[in-house]
Amino acid sequence: MTALVSRMQALAVLASVLFGSVWRKAGTVWQRWRDITFNIRRHGARPLAKWRSAESRQTGGLFRKYAAFLVALVGGSLLINALVEMYYSYGESRQALNAVQREKAVGAASVIEQFVREIEGQVGWATGFLPTGSGLEQRRLDFFRLLRQAPAITEVTYIDGDGREQIKTSRLAMDTLASGADLSNEPKFANAKANKRYFSPVYYRKESEPYLTLAIAGAGRNAGVTVAEVNLKFIWDVVSRIKVGTAGVAYVVDERGLLIAHPDIGLVLRKTDLSQQPHVALALKKLRDPSVDVPTISHNHLGREVLTAFAPISTLGWLVFVDLPVSEALQPVYDSLRRTIILLALGLAFAVLAGVWLAQRMVVPIRALAKGAARIGSGDLDHRIEMQSGDEVQILADSFNDMGARLKDSYATLEQKVTDRTRELSQALDQLRALVDVGQTLNSTLELQAVLTAILPHACRLANATSGAIYTFDDATENFSLAATHGMSPEFIATIRQAHINLRDDSPVTQSALRRGVLQWNDLAAESAWPLREALLMADVRALLAVPLLRDERIIGALIVRRAHAGAFEPDIINLMQSFASQSALAIQNARLFQELEDKSRLLEVASQHKSQFLANMSHELRTPLNAILGYSELMQDGLYGELSGKMRGIVERVQANGKHLLNLINDVLDLSKIEAGQLELSIDPYSMKNVVQMVVLATESLAAAKKLRLTSEVSENMPLGQGDERRISQVLLNLVGNAIKFTDSGEVRIVASAANDVFSVAVVDTGPGIAKQEQARLFHEFYQVDSSNTKEKGGTGLGLAIAKRIVELHGGRIWVESELGKGAIFHFEIPFRNQQREEAV
Amino acid sequence: MSQRVLIVEDQEDNRAILRDLLSSAGYDFIEATNGEEGVALAESERPDLILMDIQLPVMDGYEATRRIKANAALRSIPIIAVTSYALSGDEAKAQDAGCDAYVAKPFSPRQLLAKIREYLLPGA
Repeated sequence: MTALVSRMQALAVLASVLFGSVWRKAGTVWQRWRDITFNIRRHGARPLAKWRSAESRQTGGLFRKYAAFLVALVGGSLLINALVEMYYSYGESRQALNAVQREKAVGAASVIEQFVREIEGQVGWATGFLPTGSGLEQRRLDFFRLLRQAPAITEVTYIDGDGREQIKTSRLAMDTLASGADLSNEPKFANAKANKRYFSPVYYRKESEPYLTLAIAGAGRNAGVTVAEVNLKFIWDVVSRIKVGTAGVAYVVDERGLLIAHPDIGLVLRKTDLSQQPHVALALKKLRDPSVDVPTISHNHLGREVLTAFAPISTLGWLVFVDLPVSEALQPVYDSLRRTIILLALGLAFAVLAGVWLAQRMVVPIRALAKGAARIGSGDLDHRIEMQSGDEVQILADSFNDMGARLKDSYATLEQKVTDRTRELSQALDQLRALVDVGQTLNSTLELQAVLTAILPHACRLANATSGAIYTFDDATENFSLAATHGMSPEFIATIRQAHINLRDDSPVTQSALRRGVLQWNDLAAESAWPLREALLMADVRALLAVPLLRDERIIGALIVRRAHAGAFEPDIINLMQSFASQSALAIQNARLFQELEDKSRLLEVASQHKSQFLANMSHELRTPLNAILGYSELMQDGLYGELSGKMRGIVERVQANGKHLLNLINDVLDLSKIEAGQLELSIDPYSMKNVVQMVVLATESLAAAKKLRLTSEVSENMPLGQGDERRISQVLLNLVGNAIKFTDSGEVRIVASAANDVFSVAVVDTGPGIAKQEQARLFHEFYQVDSSNTKEKGGTGLGLAIAKRIVELHGGRIWVESELGKGAIFHFEIPFRNQQREEAV
Repeated sequence: MSQRVLIVEDQEDNRAILRDLLSSAGYDFIEATNGEEGVALAESERPDLILMDIQLPVMDGYEATRRIKANAALRSIPIIAVTSYALSGDEAKAQDAGCDAYVAKPFSPRQLLAKIREYLLPGA
């Protein structure tokens, strides 16, 4: 039994190993497939070399997969079949054998029981009641008869009711009559008296023959007991006759588990005790408790595993066992197993062969396909996969071939397209570069020739032209003249110049200009003659493109490009030439405008010089007579020409005053013109603002006194020296104080000067009428005067404040006014101590 | 003997004023109407002071002054420039040419006389 189990286990292990390896293999293949698809998904198209190696691995895997699958399929089904077969055949065989064994055991048991019952019956008959008197002799005769009838009984003894041996008839010894031996204490007597019937345990005579003592008590009170010694050799015969297989045995144990019959008599004689054998012990137990299960597989006294069955001999409480060594019992099962294993091995071998063959058949074309696809994939688009399998693989191969062919086609067109696009792109780039180049030239120079000379070679190169020219148009003469040429021989140029192209001829230049549009001649040889055609043909010109240079529809010139071969100019070339033409037109117009501008600015410069010169001369010419007027009037005042009458003195004073006023006017105009011409130069020297204030006070105190005005000055202590034009700064302050005195009728004029943060601040404060806000801003403009009716009375040029403002600004300072009507005015100016810019200039 | 002033001046009116001014102040004077003449008179007459107009025909006052100052014999004669060029830098130009003083036109006769008196003894 255990052997079977272990064999089954081995089988299971074998099966699991087989399945396991197949499963693992399948797992590995699946893993690899997932890796590959994942990689493809993740990396998209992977490098071909890598893909190929992965593919070859994949192909090997496919082969193994197919083979393993077939082997697993065939082997697995065979194995399952065998296992199922074995499982059932084992069970069935065992049951069948067990049933046979049990039948035999039952048969033997019934034979033995029959035998015992017969003996018992015969002994019972011999024990029957005998009429009194017939006595012992009769019983003795009966006993003889019994011995004759029942060969198994070797000795019969009659014990009377008191336990005295009365008759003893034996086959082996002399009969004894009425020996009177007291057997009342013998168990056979006691038990028979008690139970009517008694079977003794088996015992052996001559240590070789098993015997049983059977005692049966007679009926009636004080009846005797007949004791028969039964030779159990019969049982041995019965048991020995039972044949189960070759090594199977039947044996009998008594109710204590002692062996009482066994083909091997030696065992019986050695009184082998089988009560420790599990099946025996359990079978004995079952006699008392039917619920006990007795295993059908156990170990015999030798420790061998046996298939066992038993049957009870109920009369005696014995058991008949029939054992068959499991090895023999399951021999057919093992035979079947062996056959199955052989079949399995054959099946597996077949499956391997079939698997390999099938996989080969399947994989070889797939490999060929993969190889071909890889070649196509690696760029060998001419490769064709040879496949005549006539199945789906061939269809696939044909598809691959088809795909290869189409790929080749599309590659070819793609390459062509790429080449085309690249060429177009480089052309466009070239054109763009040329335009940028020309644009830069256009921006960087105003020289017409430079621009046109830059444009023309680009235009000719991009138009694939051998020569070209740019003409400019003269509105006045209506002539086109050559402004730039490219690729033209001196003779050709001379011919063109001599032709004097103008608006009245029908040259390409004129025609395109008149039409305000591009014109082209695709083949001059085919054209009707016009004056320059011969010259052009001589110069190897076959095709010509004329683009007018226009500015707001006005003719400015023309761009001509010429080719040595006939044929139409491409539309994009024409567009490009138009770009160049408009750039050329722009350049020409710019150049003309610039020329005009230059001319005008030169004129302006001359005019400005004239103005300055005029002013200088004027100044001189005006001063010379003034010198006489002022000089004579002063000499007259001084009485050089005799004493003046009171009235005359007054007149001379008026002459003097008006002369001085005129002089001031002249000086102011001169100053202003110098300032405007940028000719006013400061003479920068160290100066003291305090001195400036003092000098101005000195110069104006008489004026203030004349108007009864108080003139005061407040100058901060420790004012530093400044750097500037002292005379001009004095002029500014003098102007402000003069104005203040002039416009103030009563009160005071105060000069406040201080220094802070490297700046002099000077304020002239008056108690005059004040200045309206709206007038304050205009106050510092030239020729502006507050309230014209008032100023007529006060006099003044209206230039003083404008000049003062310029002077202050030239010193890097500022001037402003704070005033309100009726509340006087404060004129402020600030001048930095040092006029950095000025100083550096000086 | 009264001191003598050379007047170099092309304008008759101005010469007249200067004549009247100088004679009233007791100075002698000689007159030239252009620079060349002025230089010649300075050499021949050796005046005590020269009143030099700048804008002159033939030779301007700067040039005449340079020539006179270039002559070692005449170098000590003070020259007062009288000019109507009231442009800044005229004074510097006059000094560069060798003028000792500068009076802008239109001049005040009184101020000019004061300037002359800085260089000459009072007239008779």
